[in-house]
Amino acid sequence: MPAAYPLPSDLSPVTVANTASLLRIIALALISGAAIASRLFAVINFESIIHEFDPWFNYRATKVLASQGFYEFWNWFDPTACGVIYNLLHALNLPVDIRNICVLLAPGFSALTAWATYMFTKEMKDESAGLLAAAFIGIVPGYISRSVAGSYDNEAIAIFLLMFTFFAWIKALKQGSAFWGTIAAVFYFYMVAAWGGYAFITNMIPLHALVLMLMGRFTGRLYVAYSSWYAIGTLSSMQVPFVGFQPVRTSEHMAALGVFGLLQIVAFGQLVRAHVSSKQFQELLLAAVISLGLIGFFGIVGLTYKGWIAPWTGRFYSLWDTGYAKKYIPIIASVSEHQPTAWPSFFMDLHFLIFLFPAGVVMCFRTLRDEHIFVIIYAVVASYFAGVMVRLMLTLTPVVCVSAAVALSSLMDTYLDPTEPSVEDDKSETSTTHSTGTASASRPATPATSKKTKKNKEKEKEAAASAGGVLSELVSNVTSSAAAAKSATTTERGVFGMDTRLVVLLNSLGLLLFFVVHCTWVTSNAYSSPSVVLSSTSSDGGKNLIDDFREAYHWLRQNTAEDAVVMSWWDYGYQIAGMADRPTLVDNNTWNNTHIATVGKAMSSPEDIAYPILRKHDVSYVLIIFGGLIGYSGDDINKFLWMVRIAQGVWPDEIQEPNYFNRGEYRVDSEASPAMRDSLMYKMSYYRFAELFGGQQPMDRVRGQHVPIQGPTLDYLEEAYTSENWIVRIYEVKKDDVLGRDLKIANAFNQGKKRKRTKPMSRRKAIGA
Amino acid sequence: MRLLSSALVTLLTLTTFSFASSSSVLVVLDPSLDRENYSIFFGGLEKRGYNLTFRAPKDTSPAITDYGVPNYDHVILFAPDTKSYAQDITPQSLVGLLSENTNLLIALSPKQTPLTSLAAEFSLILPPPETPLISHHPARSEPQTTIPVTVSSSSPILTSGIPPVWFTGAPHALGSTPMLVPILRAPAESFAADSTSDADSDALVTASEKGGEGLWAGSQMGLVTGFQTNVNSRVVFAGGVKMFSDEYATKELPSGGPPGNALFVTDVAAWVFQAKLKLRIDGVDHHRVGESEAPKMYTTNDEIVYTAHISAYDSETSTWKPYSGIDDLQLEFTMLDPHIRTSLLPVSGSPGTYQVQFRAPDRHGVFKFVLNWKRKGYSYLESSTTVPVVPPRHDQYPRFLSAAWPYYAGAISTSAGFFLFAALWLAGDVKGERKKGSKVE
Repeated sequence: MPAAYPLPSDLSPVTVANTASLLRIIALALISGAAIASRLFAVINFESIIHEFDPWFNYRATKVLASQGFYEFWNWFDPTACGVIYNLLHALNLPVDIRNICVLLAPGFSALTAWATYMFTKEMKDESAGLLAAAFIGIVPGYISRSVAGSYDNEAIAIFLLMFTFFAWIKALKQGSAFWGTIAAVFYFYMVAAWGGYAFITNMIPLHALVLMLMGRFTGRLYVAYSSWYAIGTLSSMQVPFVGFQPVRTSEHMAALGVFGLLQIVAFGQLVRAHVSSKQFQELLLAAVISLGLIGFFGIVGLTYKGWIAPWTGRFYSLWDTGYAKKYIPIIASVSEHQPTAWPSFFMDLHFLIFLFPAGVVMCFRTLRDEHIFVIIYAVVASYFAGVMVRLMLTLTPVVCVSAAVALSSLMDTYLDPTEPSVEDDKSETSTTHSTGTASASRPATPATSKKTKKNKEKEKEAAASAGGVLSELVSNVTSSAAAAKSATTTERGVFGMDTRLVVLLNSLGLLLFFVVHCTWVTSNAYSSPSVVLSSTSSDGGKNLIDDFREAYHWLRQNTAEDAVVMSWWDYGYQIAGMADRPTLVDNNTWNNTHIATVGKAMSSPEDIAYPILRKHDVSYVLIIFGGLIGYSGDDINKFLWMVRIAQGVWPDEIQEPNYFNRGEYRVDSEASPAMRDSLMYKMSYYRFAELFGGQQPMDRVRGQHVPIQGPTLDYLEEAYTSENWIVRIYEVKKDDVLGRDLKIANAFNQGKKRKRTKPMSRRKAIGA
Repeated sequence: MRLLSSALVTLLTLTTFSFASSSSVLVVLDPSLDRENYSIFFGGLEKRGYNLTFRAPKDTSPAITDYGVPNYDHVILFAPDTKSYAQDITPQSLVGLLSENTNLLIALSPKQTPLTSLAAEFSLILPPPETPLISHHPARSEPQTTIPVTVSSSSPILTSGIPPVWFTGAPHALGSTPMLVPILRAPAESFAADSTSDADSDALVTASEKGGEGLWAGSQMGLVTGFQTNVNSRVVFAGGVKMFSDEYATKELPSGGPPGNALFVTDVAAWVFQAKLKLRIDGVDHHRVGESEAPKMYTTNDEIVYTAHISAYDSETSTWKPYSGIDDLQLEFTMLDPHIRTSLLPVSGSPGTYQVQFRAPDRHGVFKFVLNWKRKGYSYLESSTTVPVVPPRHDQYPRFLSAAWPYYAGAISTSAGFFLFAALWLAGDVKGERKKGSKVE
């Protein structure tokens, strides 16, 4: 057998195996290290703080868990790993601040995710593909965006749980093992407790099972795996207070239940078929199975109509109809994460993996085992969802990493394989391989490749041998590609010489290098700036930190009564609660649309209408974000239309969106519409803004518009605090006037304005004498 | 022993200077009004322990406030005709004094002064300038602007049975503010007119038509009106200053007998200087039935006991004494809107204690116990306590439900069935086991 380059032949198989596993462990450790390290940009550049908006809630929840114990917490909200780790470390006499645990939890879990992805991909192809997938998921920006240090978010944990649940499910399916099914259920339970997106698993696994059944691949293994997962997973998930009886009452969970039922029927059918051999009877049985399934389906539909099963939620509809949310539930559409994904962000988040991804999926078709079907379904579903919502890019990322790793590792396998095809039929073969080689040549290699090269060499043979058996059975209509060439070790196809190999491999290596560079750059620049601390670069390259949020929250904490209620748009609810320790009217976890609409109405109404609302809710302070001075575009004036829309949804008679436009334009300058100019939000934003410009025409740097010199006046609120760069402005709601007057009149009196004379109500007329 | 004696001394001092909780009063007296002419009123105040300091409207010292802090507990403004004041007396500064818990006693006159615009802030509506109150009844030798006014005893501020009081000055109409406390109403047959000399019904008609003014006549007009602010400071506007004078205190009524002026102004001063009808909430507590400590949070449908302790100020002894005299106190359990409104009745046998027991609503959220008792003349009683009401904890639900028996039966039968199956399996023969084992594969 000719070889392109010599292999050492004096190594015993044991040595080879040992070296390979040692290298695997080292590689995994290095990947974990890289995964953690690349997430620490935020901590190094700024400091160890929790910085996104959502995570503050989790932080508070964890504090409760740590201080009041698990059972108290159970009554409160979902359990997280952090409190457990905290207690564990303290039990080991390691006094670690809970904040640091929270900050570093996400990076820690990303290492676990890398490991879980490795295990998952190993089930798909082999260890080398697993290592590649682990390396990808470790540093891919699509996942880093959710798991940098300090984003103490449920999603950081969720991806690990997702991957591990899927791994356990595949394992259970492969082995027909109730044990692995149970493990999948346990992790599923944890996922339910940790992240609302668990519905993804709830529907992915049943979908996989259903597809397998439809393909006629029903086996005892599937039955055991699915039944054990569903029974244990559902029962345990019902223990989570937030979920409760949803698994049997809501449409989101019906697929799982339906597939479970169908599985029982099919299993029963199989049992009967094993005992009865009549062909007609089998057909009858098939009809019975189908009709039973239909009855079940219509039963579910009927129950939904009768109200026994809750229909799909709005969030779900918005997945199918991207315009739905904007029309009916502006609250969901108002979240930037729920917008459809822009195409560049696919490249930004996944880099070259997005090109390898389809190739990997095609590879899965070639060796169409049960687990490959899973990857295919996952890929299709997740691609769709990622296109609909930016946020769901997160669920797409793992499958992209897995299939890209499968594709790349196949490529590597082919071109690292030293065996050359036999010379007899080289003419025809070389041409085909060459064309395929160049077609798939745009694939990269990682620094880790050099490590992998060695062990790949060894593993190829066994992998090839095993794959060959499967291949011969299964239909492979995809003719090109490396695995096929390799499977035919009898040298029908192959790669000749070192030059072709080097071209392809160096090319791949280069792409992998670019990938690493890209990931590092994106991570350090785009995803590691905590949103509570902004930074700007001055003309001389110096770095200015804009720390207005923390400044203002600290002011609130120090200067206001402990039970003073702060009203703000809900984005800042958790932060105010976490950093300023003050109750808020609405926060990121507010599900009551009316509450949010109330805030929206207060913000978009004139002062005298807003004031009774504020007083009724005992609001002491109103906090707004204003970026007009330094050009911070994420401010409340830019979010204002959402507030108007949400308020309009509840009070369509009082708030109308078109009133806030001037001839279709959203303006804040002298052309602003009267409703806009009178709104509380506008007034609070531009109150005293003109004074900064000393008689010049004030300029809003976000909107790029000139604000009137004569700024708005406030009667019912008074400015309490404005941060250094005017990003955070806090207003105090005035108490009732001491004389019970309307505050506007009281203000006029205080400014010494003459009051119009009032007259007594004459009840009687004088009768002329 | 020494401790006891010192305690005794303290007690003695307290009783001796009972009124003299050393309330300081600044009297801004117009020089045209001789202090001697008001000796009965001022003397009565001093006798009851008030420290009076006198000053003319244009004097700059003693100042009413220093650095925004009031120097006096109460201010009497007897300068009804003064047009210009020293800088520290403006309508704005006087309102400022009220919000700093200083009480004001203000005399008005038919003249247009800065006080006229001040009165408007209290939703008192003054007639046009130079239109004093006139009444031709009852027949008397005094001029028609000097009127004996019958005192209604319905106001809790006044002691009952005060004889009519002499009054000279301008009336005012009352605005819609519920904080106004009418003390003395104009007689039904009186009216305001701009001619003091020969005013009759023609004058009334012209006055009412002039400038589209309303009808300045009848008992809807007030003569002495109090106002209690949101912070419980009090202010009284008297339509004329003469009713406080020695002359009116001693002038015999047309019907014979001494007038009620001295008694009336004493009552008014006692009310405005917070010696009367002053209540406070000493404290509130709430707990579940059968417990005594307030829990951190309530569970829906808890039985809650709410208690308020209210006391009234006794000016005789300068002490607060438990007060059970309120019979229309209400408690609200509020989340945005009251979910429960119940009367909070005094507990007999325990003075000053008001208690009610009720069941928390079947709603969770942040609730408030709200006491809000506002009655004319009395100090406002307000209290608000925030408590969270939570749904039952996971282990507070009933353990065994009769409705759930099918589930219990299912669980038990499955367990029993499994046990039976395992027993049969173990007891079964080896051949059968083989077969089954291969099937599971």
